[in-house]
Amino acid sequence: MSIEKKSIDLATQEVLKKAQDENIKTAWDRLELQEPQCGFGQLGLCCTVCDMGPCRIDPFGEGAQAGVCGANADTIAARNLARKIAVGASAHSDHGRDVAYTLSLLSEGHAHDYEIMDIEKLKTLAQEFGIDTNKTKEQIAKELSKKLLEEFGKQEGELVFTKRAPKKRQAIWKKLGITPRGIDREVVELLHTTTMGVDNDYKNIINNGMRCALSDGWGGSMVATDVQDIILGAPEPIRGKVNLGVLKENYVNIVVHGHEPVLSEMAVKASQDPELIKLAKAKGAEGINLAGICCTANEVLMRHGVPVAGNFLQQELAIITGAVEVMMVDVQCIMPALQEVAACFHTKLITTNPKARFPGVTHIEFESKKAYEVAKQIIKLGIENFSNRNKERVNIPKYEMDLVAGFTKEVVFQILGGKYRSTYKPLNEAIISGRLRGLAGVVGCNNPKQTHDYFHTTLVKELIKNDVLVLQTGCSAIACAKQGLLIPEAAKEYAGKGLQEICEAVGIPPVLHLGSCVDNSRILTAASHIIEEGGLGEDLSDIPAAGCAPEWMSEKAITIGFYFVASGVYTIFGASPFATLGSKDLTDYLTKGLAETVGGRFEFCDDPIKMAQLMIEHIDKKRKALNLRPRMYQ
Amino acid sequence: MKQLYYDVKKCLGCKSCEIACAVAHSISEELFKAIKEEILSLPRKKIISSKDKNYPVSCRHCKDPKCVDACMAAALVYDKEKGMVLHDESRCVGCWMCVMVCPYGAIRPNIKTRIPIRCDKCKDKDEPSCVKACPTGAIIWQEETAMQPGTVPEGDCPATR
Amino acid sequence: MKQFIIIGNSAAGIATVEAIRQRDKNSKILVFSDEDYPAYCRCLIPYYLAGDIKEDKILYRAESFYRENNIELLLNKKVMRIDPKKNRITCEDKTQFNYDALLIATGASPKFPEGLKGIKKRGVFGFRTIKDTKDICGLLPVTKVACVLGGGLIGLKAAYGLKKRNVEVKVIIKSKQVLSQMLDFETAGFVQRKLEENGIEIILGQDVDEIIGNGDIKAVKLDSGKAFESSLIIVGKGVSPNIDLIKETEIKFNEGILANNLMQTNMPNIYTAGDVCESFDVALGQFSMNALWPVAVEQGKIAGANMSGDNLNYTGSLGMNSIEFFGLPVISLGLYKVKEADTNFEELKFCNTKENLYKKIILKDNFIVGAIFVGDIKNSGVFLRLIRERINISSFKDRLLQESFGYPDIMDFVSKDISYGDGYLNK
Repeated sequence: MSIEKKSIDLATQEVLKKAQDENIKTAWDRLELQEPQCGFGQLGLCCTVCDMGPCRIDPFGEGAQAGVCGANADTIAARNLARKIAVGASAHSDHGRDVAYTLSLLSEGHAHDYEIMDIEKLKTLAQEFGIDTNKTKEQIAKELSKKLLEEFGKQEGELVFTKRAPKKRQAIWKKLGITPRGIDREVVELLHTTTMGVDNDYKNIINNGMRCALSDGWGGSMVATDVQDIILGAPEPIRGKVNLGVLKENYVNIVVHGHEPVLSEMAVKASQDPELIKLAKAKGAEGINLAGICCTANEVLMRHGVPVAGNFLQQELAIITGAVEVMMVDVQCIMPALQEVAACFHTKLITTNPKARFPGVTHIEFESKKAYEVAKQIIKLGIENFSNRNKERVNIPKYEMDLVAGFTKEVVFQILGGKYRSTYKPLNEAIISGRLRGLAGVVGCNNPKQTHDYFHTTLVKELIKNDVLVLQTGCSAIACAKQGLLIPEAAKEYAGKGLQEICEAVGIPPVLHLGSCVDNSRILTAASHIIEEGGLGEDLSDIPAAGCAPEWMSEKAITIGFYFVASGVYTIFGASPFATLGSKDLTDYLTKGLAETVGGRFEFCDDPIKMAQLMIEHIDKKRKALNLRPRMYQ
Repeated sequence: MKQLYYDVKKCLGCKSCEIACAVAHSISEELFKAIKEEILSLPRKKIISSKDKNYPVSCRHCKDPKCVDACMAAALVYDKEKGMVLHDESRCVGCWMCVMVCPYGAIRPNIKTRIPIRCDKCKDKDEPSCVKACPTGAIIWQEETAMQPGTVPEGDCPATR
Repeated sequence: MKQFIIIGNSAAGIATVEAIRQRDKNSKILVFSDEDYPAYCRCLIPYYLAGDIKEDKILYRAESFYRENNIELLLNKKVMRIDPKKNRITCEDKTQFNYDALLIATGASPKFPEGLKGIKKRGVFGFRTIKDTKDICGLLPVTKVACVLGGGLIGLKAAYGLKKRNVEVKVIIKSKQVLSQMLDFETAGFVQRKLEENGIEIILGQDVDEIIGNGDIKAVKLDSGKAFESSLIIVGKGVSPNIDLIKETEIKFNEGILANNLMQTNMPNIYTAGDVCESFDVALGQFSMNALWPVAVEQGKIAGANMSGDNLNYTGSLGMNSIEFFGLPVISLGLYKVKEADTNFEELKFCNTKENLYKKIILKDNFIVGAIFVGDIKNSGVFLRLIRERINISSFKDRLLQESFGYPDIMDFVSKDISYGDGYLNK
């Protein structure tokens, strides 16, 4: 496949060419060797649950139509999907647990390098848990972290954050029996139902899956988001730079990659340590340049303006520029290939989390108790590695783009309203009046099966052209940022008239970066506030809004999709649909049946313009149902 | 003339070749669309296991084809130039004489369409779809004259591309 | 340069001339046919009657076949007599031709029950030739009820054809089951049910006593006394080999002309093949008639090869029938039925009446002598091979009825030199 077809991002194209010239294999090359990928797997018709198998169902009807235990295509596909939901939820929720635990350590004085940055949020959150806030912040933090950690171990009841959702939505969950009870419990129970000889009813499996997904969206992820804001500070709109061009030739380049900002925050701090900067200069560099990849990049971008080197598919490419001294990684989305790629250069790959090790790779374990020290240790390694850089092999593509990030619920609508206290009134009015046709969440990963960044940017451009305000997180946000969509100037160039007016009046881009993938929970909370503010229905499913993950690849994306659908949102997934096509009934249930129970449903689409059309159609339908005028400017 | 050969040591019985074959002979030639077609395509080859080994069974395009002799409608003919047994669907009445005489059991009846299912070496493509699809390179697409007894030419294994 | 004479222009005759031409491009070949039609697919006439195929698809070889292969085709020339001592044949029109080698492939003709009253009336047809079919088709517009006499392959296929043309069909069968020459009682039941489900009436255990009408048929009376109206009768009561032309010679015959393993008659330069000949049946272990299209072709190939100087051995014929009725496929190979009490034979059986699935293998001393498959007929070619090559199946006997049984189970036991081979490396 030609390089142009692999990515629309010019920086990526350049480094791919370098990789080709230097015979370094990337994810795209490995995909080619994997093709054609197994048809049974693609259709979800392969079951490896028990040792009576592995079994497969013949999609053409001639061969076996049931596994050895008797499970048919519906059951097999549904169970496989449920396992993915459980894993995705585990990833997010475990991240949330780590953050809550850090808060706990902090409150007891064991995590000196952190402090309570957002006391207001601490108090608001504590109140949600019924904690009296007439105490010191340490005391509140102690009690709050205890309650938060309890959410993980709870056996019955309801997760506290579910109370944030509109009453009508909570009632739907209750009626369906899918209100999440305990964060860890939902994962364990869901996994239980997928083992051999438990749940055979695909609809039941999906319902249980939705409950588990909700325990992530309104549970684990929300814990992560809110506690991160407390410890690290709630983000505010901030300018930054994105793409591989942020790597600097004359600096010590440290790339931080992964998901948990408790690590990357410390890296930011350490990179500003005067002693270390002195050391770097002594080694011949002009300074220390910290850049990020994936979600952790989004976190430090939002809070500190740290530049983003790239999104998921660019992780190897960053190393291939030849300019990276250290890549420090924690958990999730870290390609095992990095070890081999780093070995082609002087780059030191360093793992920091006992959950994510590479055989033979330097492991410097990150502990909250001595967070800053560890971060310094790692950066020092990078500084010392600077002299090992082979200048001949360095080629940093000269592409970097400005962006604005950090639009959280507390902030954006504050700006929108121009008032001191954040209120959703102006946003709601914008939607009601039709200046804003509606809202769209475009989120998710990259996938080499599709042209890198193409779907994200094409879809978002089409949406904002039609006056839909786009909210973004994760790698999707980085993709659009690279194409210049996350700056206020983009409104003039790409947005429709109504959206343009809003952006100009308020000074925001037409595409708002809300953060990392756990920050998709921000969208849930924002949506709840929109309903609370009034005028746009009584339930999340009433809002003229739609979601899309156009280039998804991770199981986490599936979980996110499910918690949005379970919260009433019409959600489109791109590329190959979940492996459910092998079961017509299951696919129909996901794309049609769910609308009748939870008011939200999935849609599978492989063309970005069509995705936009579907989302806009849905938004218009919701507008009509609310008796709103159609879009102000046709 | 090229023929399909099978390296039995490498066949894992994964049946990726069966799926690729069925898809290649569907109308849309794409997996996700093919499974929704009104008349489902069927694979022209089948994996049969015997004594812990797996054997793909497909039409051998015999030089002295029993099926051609048995065909009472003259729908099956042997094309010397192409080195292939060809099937003319317009003449076929679905009598299954060919199924009855094939010494390898390589022809299966499609009762719904009344057409015998039989490997046609993907004659309208560059090479048979099963060759590309085999993840271990067990399917070998090779000239008959190149097959010396005892040699195993390299299959088109994705891992060695 | 030799002159070959081939009496008969159907499966056996064409296979013979093709085999000769493969080896000998120059000798003269004359093909005599008593029909007025180039070689056609005789077995397709039921489909032609049914309207499933048009006339343009019924030719067995293209019109140009004879010219391209340097063959002189003489249509409408019935051969009346052979004079082996003079190597000469005489035709109906008194013309005579000499030969260096002769093939008798005159086929067989429908048996008409001689004593049946009214059998010679207008409206009674055999179902063998394309002329028969065209004549029947001509009467269809004025036919309401048709009768088929005989429950064999020909009769039932005729019934299918008539039903497809929206004629009410009654099949009158003397024996207690349909297809008594091909299936056992149980499988006959499967087929009968299928036919009846599709509107064909089967009357068992009765025979036609009298055909009633003045010139044209009006009704039919059974031996039970029952009578009903009918204006068209197709007789499917078997065929008898056309051996009239050898009766005054010393060519040996039994029911059909006897052929040895080289497809020769007892006269060294006279060969025979197809429906007219009687050959050694490997399943029955004795000489028998196997008037079947694939058998005629393979015999013709051997005859033609040997007529042109080759020395190919015919391993023997056996019964091999494949038919499908309204979506139910049935294959019968070799010895399909044995007496219940006969302990020489062993039967392996699988039966699922609800899903119309049936498999029966008949063994003698661990050799397969016959098989019947209904519903699931895949791999029947493998069984045919086991019968033909006389393979002892004891080491995989338990696999025979398995769904997953196939060629790989037998490949170590069967002959290797079949054209391209199975293609397996590193077995």
